[in-house]
Amino acid sequence: MTLRRRLPYLLLAPSVIILLALILYPLGFALRNSFWFWNLQTSPMPLYHSGWDNFRMVFLVTPFSEALKNTLLLAGLGTFAQFWLGMGIALLLHSHLRGMGLMRAVLIMPTTLAPVVAGFLFRYLLEPKGGILPWLLKGLGIPVPPQGFLGNAGTALFSIGLVDTWQWTPFFAIVLYAGLLSISEEIKEAAQVDGASGWRMFWSVTLPLLRPIAAFLVMIRFMQLFNSFDLVYVLTNGGPGTASRTLSFNLYREGLVNYNIGLTAAMTWLVVIIVSVIINLYLFFVFRKREW
Amino acid sequence: MRRHRPGQKLVIYALMTVVMVFFLGPICWFILLAFRHPSEAYNLPPELFFKPYLGNFVDTFVEPGNNAPQLVNSLIVSSGATLLSLPFALSAAYALSRFAMRGKEFIMNWYISLLIAPPIVFVIPYFILMSWIGWAGSYQAMILTLQTLAIPFSVWLLKSFIDEVPLDLEEAAWVDGATRLRAFFRIIIPLALPGLIVTSMFTFVFSWNNVLFPLVLSRGSTTTLPVGTISFFASTGVYWGHIAATAVVAMLPPMIIFLLLGRYVVRGLTFGAVKG
Repeated sequence: MTLRRRLPYLLLAPSVIILLALILYPLGFALRNSFWFWNLQTSPMPLYHSGWDNFRMVFLVTPFSEALKNTLLLAGLGTFAQFWLGMGIALLLHSHLRGMGLMRAVLIMPTTLAPVVAGFLFRYLLEPKGGILPWLLKGLGIPVPPQGFLGNAGTALFSIGLVDTWQWTPFFAIVLYAGLLSISEEIKEAAQVDGASGWRMFWSVTLPLLRPIAAFLVMIRFMQLFNSFDLVYVLTNGGPGTASRTLSFNLYREGLVNYNIGLTAAMTWLVVIIVSVIINLYLFFVFRKREW
Repeated sequence: MRRHRPGQKLVIYALMTVVMVFFLGPICWFILLAFRHPSEAYNLPPELFFKPYLGNFVDTFVEPGNNAPQLVNSLIVSSGATLLSLPFALSAAYALSRFAMRGKEFIMNWYISLLIAPPIVFVIPYFILMSWIGWAGSYQAMILTLQTLAIPFSVWLLKSFIDEVPLDLEEAAWVDGATRLRAFFRIIIPLALPGLIVTSMFTFVFSWNNVLFPLVLSRGSTTTLPVGTISFFASTGVYWGHIAATAVVAMLPPMIIFLLLGRYVVRGLTFGAVKG
């Protein structure tokens, strides 16, 4: 091969090499230690070979199935809510009434916040004693759990989803709005000439044309929600009990609170497998006809 | 442009008002908290008008000012991560934009799958690795590991900008006898400069807002501002005034950068996939 033909690969090489090093090390580390007993509190090095014990212990001593269920629920419902709320707001912005430009510019503010900051913000608003949201809801006659929404097992996970939805609905709104702008007037006029009403137009013309953008946004957001850690950490610390633990938070607890490195390594591989299955299913079914 | 009936207009504005209050109200309420005296944090019914109190900011950033060094740390880590990612990302983005090669789609997907992989999976082994090699709690530990997010993001976004530089210009330079390298520096860099700046600003914001890496890899003296806020959840009570003051300072740079970026926001948030 001449230099000319090698050049693109040489240019890619530095980034690929540093990234490979940065991901293969942790994955290899996890693979090796998933078969060793190792608690960092008792030993700086792995202690003994323990076969498949760590994988069994993941299900026995950590609420892994509950965390998986929570994670999928959070990611599924959160993405769904954010997409449709964002779509609604995008359609409002698309009315091109006076002032919409300014509103669009400031609407994105929640998305710019660090998730930790958004978490603090809502922890304050949701404080059972003194928070403004419980006070408003009580005023409206809506019952508030005495431990607050974040301290109640039935509402904790839902509240995390709500805060994430608050943060990321504007993201869907402005990106889908950009998508609406890119749909040509001619297509819309043609549909109108054919007698399509507002709803019909939305379902049969607008939505299909937004599909590539929507598919991309949904994948990104679903996975970011799937990885939720910051919000859980600040809002509920996985609680009450284990009611709002996500997979990422479960990994954090086992690895960096209990220092169960072997068990965490086994759990890491289970999570990596789950994530690869989701990403590849998505790439296979949704992105087969993508255009980048 | 569509015309609206007056009634329709009213409904749209009413709905938008609800939207704006829902999405901006909480931020405004939290900013007000930073200016309230700690004893007034829980006053109900809420007081919209009160005497502004600057003590929260003084406590956290001036005297004793425990959070002032964290602000500097945040700047060091975010700028470091951004600067380190640029050369790697620039050469990869140029290759992906300008050359036909086998497996291009696979490589693009690979970068994005790193972006959406759970970072907690990487960070626990890094934590142990860094203490083995003596980098525990160091800036370079955070700056290096943040590359798992910074490089893939910058490659995607930069590629979308380089794609927009006309190939003709580069070819004209080659015809005039310029080498590829020379053409790269004389044509691509100046024309893609806005894109380079936009990409750096986004990488900076994402590094700034990242909490997991500094939470696990920093020590007290190197920790960043968003992580610093967490420390106010003491067992002795929650210091809302201090949390709000530090959080408000932590939220300002991303907000300002996003307002400056204006029409590039859509593109940045979608890694260049949606032009906006």
